[in-house]
Amino acid sequence: MSTSTPDSPQGGGGMTWHVAEDDLRAYVRGELTAPLLWSADTHLAACATCRALLAGVTDPVALDAGWERLDAELDAPRPGWFESLLVRAGIADHTARLLTATPVLRRSWLAAVVFLLLATVGVVHTAGSPTLFLALAPLLPLAGVALSYGPALDPTYEMAVVAPLHGFRLLMIRTLAVLAAGLGLNGLATLALPGYGLRALAWLLPALALTATGLALTPRLGPVLAPSLVGGAWIAVLLAAQAAQERGAGSLAPFTAAGQGVAAAVAALAAGLLFVVRDRFDLFNGSAE
Amino acid sequence: MTTTVTASGLGLRYGGTRALDDVSLRLTPGVTGLLGPNGAGKTTLLRVLATAVPADRGSFTVLGHDPGTSRGRHQVRRSLGYLPQTPGLHPDFSAFEFVDYVAILKELTDRTARHREVRRVLEEVDLGDVRGRRIKKLSGGMRQRVALAAALVGDPGFLVLDEPTVGLDPEQRMRFRELIAGAGEGRTVLLSTHQTEDVAMLCHRVLVMARGRILFAGTPAELTARAAGRVWSSTERAPGAKAGWRTGTGSFRNVGDPPADAELLEPTLEDGYLLTLDDVSAEAAA
Repeated sequence: MSTSTPDSPQGGGGMTWHVAEDDLRAYVRGELTAPLLWSADTHLAACATCRALLAGVTDPVALDAGWERLDAELDAPRPGWFESLLVRAGIADHTARLLTATPVLRRSWLAAVVFLLLATVGVVHTAGSPTLFLALAPLLPLAGVALSYGPALDPTYEMAVVAPLHGFRLLMIRTLAVLAAGLGLNGLATLALPGYGLRALAWLLPALALTATGLALTPRLGPVLAPSLVGGAWIAVLLAAQAAQERGAGSLAPFTAAGQGVAAAVAALAAGLLFVVRDRFDLFNGSAE
Repeated sequence: MTTTVTASGLGLRYGGTRALDDVSLRLTPGVTGLLGPNGAGKTTLLRVLATAVPADRGSFTVLGHDPGTSRGRHQVRRSLGYLPQTPGLHPDFSAFEFVDYVAILKELTDRTARHREVRRVLEEVDLGDVRGRRIKKLSGGMRQRVALAAALVGDPGFLVLDEPTVGLDPEQRMRFRELIAGAGEGRTVLLSTHQTEDVAMLCHRVLVMARGRILFAGTPAELTARAAGRVWSSTERAPGAKAGWRTGTGSFRNVGDPPADAELLEPTLEDGYLLTLDDVSAEAAA
């Protein structure tokens, strides 16, 4: 967006570059997008040359609107590193702000998950079996999603419920972000277990099944009980499968081909149920007065 | 005066508790106070009117919109500012970032217009100078003003405030009253509070609630008038008084049914409130 022409004598003292005319025209049309927009905003505040050029390519009304916008932009605080990262990744700035307010996307949460996964991978290497990792990995996205929405951890939950933004939309935005982070970390942990091949990925479908089921049951059971019950059911299934394995049943059932098929079916059914009950996320789900 | 919010026969049960019992009301522009003891159903009523919780029975409209339908609920929410009893604020956000976040929840997605609106409401609550400061570094009164600013985003026609002055010192409370009075100009404000002084100073109408029911609806003067002839002074606590306490002058101020020769005192709104609650308790006991 910049030119390397030297600064003009009439202004822009100290500037080593100027906003390209095409970008200025896009700027006045309101079509310049972040981060070019932010760069132009900041530059125009300090460069008289570019301001003069800007006045030449626009009408006065549009120019006034532009100055108002510039004023608002310079007044706004700089977004944090995580929010900036999301915007640079192409996420709209308002969606990035919604994600920044998601409790489990904070550094402390992500650090805890990384620590837990590293410890688990260590145990897997020591014990010579991936079972613990496969059992734990589906629970992390379930917990992350459960804790990203609801009165327990979201301090603005009550305000969010009565806001015009559809509760299900907010839930889905956060769920996708948490799933992306959670599944991504699980995936990285899987790479640390190369000796088990595709078997080490057998957590993925159970993770999706548990997360979708936990969300689908939340409107009826609440944001704490629903994921707790689903997590407990997963542990019960694993214990039952282990007992069967000790009786000579071979691999743990959830991680066999049949078990993976069941997990996929449960995930699909729960996703369907979640869609059916989507309007229930528009109402308060907490204790009474 | 134009009625902006109407409710008819609202009822809601939580388990075995009747949180709202046949509540009907009409609100007009200006500040209406909602008084009641703990557990009276005030927060439940506010949550129902704010569309957070659906009522089991009855209906209501806000600015002509019926929240009984998905579309109507959306319209009500676009006209609503809500300050809950314990407004959660992201402590690591700055005041600007937090209000900006709420503005996004209110569907203001255009960055320039949104930031303009955020600046406007922060100026309105006198926080323009500290808009970049982290919320965790703000005082309790300032945090409450941040929450009020968030409620004011979008210039809502109906503002619901649930005990916004709790925990504030007298100076902060006075400052907050000024803000609420300003917010009540041209819009309908429903203010739940335990502070009868808030109602006396701010409200053009008052509702008294207990056990899920509206016991009184009228002007503060009418509520005060309920205690006319029922407040008296004595040298000892009067045995038949509903309430009585020694004042700074050493004499007792009694509220209830005075004896024939009692030295009557000018009633306050608090006297009227206490007697309204007591009359209902007596009816329930009978």
